[in-house]
Amino acid sequence: MASTSTSSSAEFFRRPAAAMLAGLLSVAAASAVWSAAPRFYPDDPLWSDDDRAFDASKVVAVEDGNGYDFAVNTFGHPGERRDVRAMNVNTIDEVPDSSWFTNRIGRNAITVADVVRGPDRVDRISLDGWTVSGGKSTGVQPGFRMTDPRGTLHQIEVDPPSNPELASGSEIIGTAFYYAMGYNTVDVYLAEIDRTNLVISERSTIRDPLNGKRRPLRRSDLDDVFDRAARLPNGRYRVLVSRFAAGTPLGNFRYYGTRPDDPNDVVPHEHRRELRGARVFGAWLNHDDSRGINSLDMLETTNGRAWVKHYMFDFGSILGSGTVFAQRHRPGNEYIFEQRPGWLTLATLGLYVRPWMLIDYPEVPPSVGRFEAHAFEPEKWKPEYPNAAFDNVRPDDAFWAARIVARFSDEMVGAVVKKAQYSDPRATEYLTRALITRRDKVLATWLNQVCPAVDPRLLAEGALTFSNVAVDARAATPAETYQLQWFRFDNTTGTRTSVGDSQTVVTPAGRAPAGLLDGTDYVGVVVTARHPEHVGWMRPATFFFRRGGPRWTLVGVERG
Amino acid sequence: MMSQHACGMLFDVFSISRLVVLVSLVATTAAYGQDATTRAEADRQRRAAKNESLEPYEPGGFERAMHFVEDRAVFIVGREGFYPKLGSLTTGSGFAYGLGYRDRDLFDKVAVVDLWAATSTRRYWATEARLTFPRLANKRLMVESWAAHRDYPQEDFFGIGPASVRADQTSFAIRSDFLGARAGIRPLPILLAGGGLEYQRPRLGRGKDERVPSIEQRFNAFAAPGLAQRVDYLRSTAFVELDYREPRNARRGGWYRLDFSRYADRGGGQQTFNRVDLDLRQFVGFLAERRVLAGRLLVSTSDAASGAAMPFYLMPTLGGNDTLRGFREYRFRGPHGMLAQGEYRWEIWSGLEGALFYDAGKVAMSRRDLNFDGLERDYGFGFRFNTDQAIMFRVDAGFGSRDGKHLYIVFGGIF
Repeated sequence: MASTSTSSSAEFFRRPAAAMLAGLLSVAAASAVWSAAPRFYPDDPLWSDDDRAFDASKVVAVEDGNGYDFAVNTFGHPGERRDVRAMNVNTIDEVPDSSWFTNRIGRNAITVADVVRGPDRVDRISLDGWTVSGGKSTGVQPGFRMTDPRGTLHQIEVDPPSNPELASGSEIIGTAFYYAMGYNTVDVYLAEIDRTNLVISERSTIRDPLNGKRRPLRRSDLDDVFDRAARLPNGRYRVLVSRFAAGTPLGNFRYYGTRPDDPNDVVPHEHRRELRGARVFGAWLNHDDSRGINSLDMLETTNGRAWVKHYMFDFGSILGSGTVFAQRHRPGNEYIFEQRPGWLTLATLGLYVRPWMLIDYPEVPPSVGRFEAHAFEPEKWKPEYPNAAFDNVRPDDAFWAARIVARFSDEMVGAVVKKAQYSDPRATEYLTRALITRRDKVLATWLNQVCPAVDPRLLAEGALTFSNVAVDARAATPAETYQLQWFRFDNTTGTRTSVGDSQTVVTPAGRAPAGLLDGTDYVGVVVTARHPEHVGWMRPATFFFRRGGPRWTLVGVERG
Repeated sequence: MMSQHACGMLFDVFSISRLVVLVSLVATTAAYGQDATTRAEADRQRRAAKNESLEPYEPGGFERAMHFVEDRAVFIVGREGFYPKLGSLTTGSGFAYGLGYRDRDLFDKVAVVDLWAATSTRRYWATEARLTFPRLANKRLMVESWAAHRDYPQEDFFGIGPASVRADQTSFAIRSDFLGARAGIRPLPILLAGGGLEYQRPRLGRGKDERVPSIEQRFNAFAAPGLAQRVDYLRSTAFVELDYREPRNARRGGWYRLDFSRYADRGGGQQTFNRVDLDLRQFVGFLAERRVLAGRLLVSTSDAASGAAMPFYLMPTLGGNDTLRGFREYRFRGPHGMLAQGEYRWEIWSGLEGALFYDAGKVAMSRRDLNFDGLERDYGFGFRFNTDQAIMFRVDAGFGSRDGKHLYIVFGGIF
């Protein structure tokens, strides 16, 4: 990828000599940093990454096509694939707020109503007084554009006749979940439309689907859309209304590399925690369309300075939806092109049966599409084709994401599904149940790959408490024991000095050894846990505390 | 599709300069980092370093090529207005190429007009003008009319009936003009019934295939009915068609068509005959519809006694890439014919299928011989590059016939 530094460097790293050179130079440079920089700065942990600091007005649009995105990710292996900690996490292993991500349910106590509302600015939307202002030229879902009386542009999309409510329902649900997780999404609404009352603006145009040229929009273009739309019994059409994001479109972001013309974009996307963690969310919600072309970058201007805001976009084919049909069997289970199963199938004349072909999908209303929870195996889930950020997921990334998933209660899941307004209550009931089952599988998988100790507190007198998020989420039974190894930490040199013997406790609590807390500003404790079913719990969680007056404050977390 | 290696080479072109930038960035960051006293300042310095070495976005060659393919090439092939006519004119024509002009939203999307002229690698050529109203009366009525000229200089002829032998292969030329119209009503989305009229003006000539004799050198008018006459026909048709395939490149469902045609001799009536064609296709998908059993039964019969009143060039034929694939094109002709085909199709990757097939069929001189005795048979395998809507390209290899092995490379599908 010429456009990004890391993608091309990843190719370079495949050559041993070049990799060695790069490694030496990087180590030398990094050494300079570490020799001079403390492990923890006074302002750690940062909860806000100021990635709007420099003017990005010279950024140009990057709009990848379906074919290119597929080819380059399938055969090109872009981005840097290596086992390295996410590069945009703060010192306590969390993702600070940025132009990519805003901590919502993961950090704040938000209500069911907040989750349901998502990014929406109003409760409901009426299309009275709106005009058709253009055609829709991207994506497979039929639709067009409308402008509200205040001049705000919206996209209108319909559901397929074979599966009423399918894509719109998925979009509503996906938007609410992804927004609550912390991503930027546009606000979406459900509405009914009467095609006979549509008013076409004189200035509306469409990119002709037959020749690609822009021309005035005609009534027959709308007929084409409604010919492929599910019609309500009252003769109207249920539509999804998506508000266009503010700013100037810059195309999509990529799950690898950085924009070379954006000064604020310094962390390779494949090493961004929120993009790696999106694999966990994708598995839960079956967002097999998690790929660059379903993202959106917008150039916004604040206080005279331009910056790029990154959106997750287009959830019309999550869950059981294939947007214009019920999702096929393969998506979510296998890449579009995957060598081994293909060659096996070829060589055996089809006698080799891919496991996903045997999944028994239950009979559900057409609005659900093809979605199930019993055969779902979170770690085996796959998007449509390789995704550099997903390929770099480490247990700590997945743990971070799973903790967010754990925050969605049964009630929240049910309320979000209800927002999709399925006319058949069986659809609501089934989807809710399936999502809860899948959520529990996600938690059981990814909360248990590392020691699930979280929220440590060290009191002034030395008492330590923490929680076991896997137990709290009912993804595991309590640990048999916890091992605690305390240490003193030199923030300037990065040296750890163990203090006392390893402590074994049966509850998530302990006490600092006598004298540890005296005369030092930084201490830490390494926590591991023993559980007969979860060997991952032996992967240590290391907590660093800094003295702040009489209190100790958590300043660092490492996992795995 | 670009290979991994080729793709890697493409990216490597940029690698050295990118590495320099990368290392510079890290080194610069290190220098800046030494002065930072807060995390926020350290992060800011990192961005300041990049801000001083911003590069414009430069798409690579592969990316530009893919953009061209996706933005332009697709529209060149399927474009409105003038377009390249590519594919095949008829079985055995070879690859055809030409120029067309079409307007698929004529009269505000009420009608489609398509004009084209094309020639082929075997010097076939044809031209056609077609005007279609596909969605009248709220899609319940379709009407279309056409005019066409076809010039096929080297069609194969081996004789009439099941006993024809390969060594008797000859060729003939046929030039035909057509003018017709038809209408159909669609009481249900899957059901179409209708009829039409077509004026046909076929003219025979010497075969241009230099490898074999011309037809008149080996066959007379008795052995090749219609060889000596110049007959114009008015063909009146009635048909009913049931189509519930899902999707169009079917993985389940069926397609059934019954077609009745009366070929009325406009020059006295001696060559008038009736022909009935029944084509049944059934598809059964299993294993998530990634495996498909496809079956076809085609029966064609006429009321021409012993073929005497039915010209050979309007008889049903068997042999070639879409019927008996173990035989040469048009290997068998007769006033009556039947064909049974079975395929097992298995998806290898999205867009590529393998197929094992078995074909059996025969032509007959009388209707009572239209049975399962003495069927010609073949079997084989193939590969299909496809979408949900169609097979774009296929390679089929036919074996097991008394005619030897045959390899077909076809731009288009099978049943």
